Amino acid sequence: MIANEETFRRLMIKAQGGDKLCYSSLLVECEKWLRRYCARKINPAAIDDLVQETLISLHRKRASYDPARAFLPWLAAIGRYRWIDSLRKIYRHEHDQLYEEMVADPQDGDVTAKVSLERLFGMIPPKQAEVISLVKIEGLSIIEAAAKTGQSESLVKVNIHRGLKKMSALIESE
Amino acid sequence: MSGVANNLIENLVEDLEPVRTLKPKSGLAIVGGITLIAVIAVATTLGVRNDLMLGMADEMFFLRSGVLLMLGCATAITVVNMARPGVGKLSRGWVWALITAALFPLTAAIMSAINMPPVEALRPMEGLKCLTVSGMAALAIGSGLTLWLRQGAPTSPERAGWLIGLASGALGAMAYNIHCPFNDIYYVGLWFTIPVIISAVFGRLVVPHLIRW
Repeated sequence: MIANEETFRRLMIKAQGGDKLCYSSLLVECEKWLRRYCARKINPAAIDDLVQETLISLHRKRASYDPARAFLPWLAAIGRYRWIDSLRKIYRHEHDQLYEEMVADPQDGDVTAKVSLERLFGMIPPKQAEVISLVKIEGLSIIEAAAKTGQSESLVKVNIHRGLKKMSALIESE
Repeated sequence: MSGVANNLIENLVEDLEPVRTLKPKSGLAIVGGITLIAVIAVATTLGVRNDLMLGMADEMFFLRSGVLLMLGCATAITVVNMARPGVGKLSRGWVWALITAALFPLTAAIMSAINMPPVEALRPMEGLKCLTVSGMAALAIGSGLTLWLRQGAPTSPERAGWLIGLASGALGAMAYNIHCPFNDIYYVGLWFTIPVIISAVFGRLVVPHLIRW
């Protein structure tokens, strides 16, 4: 089970005040939440790196959390930022099984749905989302993605570039 | 949880220090402070326009000041709010201030199309002075805002770059505006627009490299 929004918020406020015990609990809970958050939207081989980079960003940018606001939308904005950053870096990787069992935590269903990576994908044109998913998440090559989608190789590259740029501008959109 | 994640969490916890939460008001105070210094610097070195000194300023002065101030404030407020990210927080209110400010160059362009102004009306030498002073003020304001934003976590460095450029360009031009004695729409539409555009482009090109995290 993963902590709920109010627990996250309280732990974070304590952590901003320097409470190490609360911070440790917060990071453990964030690690679990982020694993589910990223599931199916990044290659499994890259999940560990992405979660760890997001935790490091959380640590470095903890002063940017506003205690008067909800915690998960803040964490999700950081998660989305790091996710798009990692998609830009990953080009080719092994075809791993995606972690199908990893789904968003049902107890925070409403919040998670609003801040999800799927929703961000839904904000860009389907052709761009499709090639990003094929190349950056499933690990297909540009040639394979072009054959599968019927787009030319250069169009696949352009659509990946444009899609990532568009998602990057929409990180804080619901 | 993996051993690597455990180690990382232990290290982060070990490194924890209390932090003061980032307040957008402090960013606005920096912008306001530098703008005020720029206004005072313009007033003391170049002087305040005569009609303003006599308490009979032209209506164009108020229109121009108000629009530049509105654009500068709307974009600066958006920038300081970008320091504290959150899904659902995307703000586009500044676009309306930009559209309003665009009325000046648009009107100047329409008027020029109807009745081409003589080159003298554009006053190139005075215009270049306007550009230089506004640009220097914009650089100071933009630098302060960029340094402040580095503490935060803006999720769209490119947008932040545009907005910092727009905010500092508008406020820099607003600072010079208290000296500038010209009121015709051709001059205002050209020489008060160019510094804002140059500053916005400069912000877009330079700022993202400085605020990425």
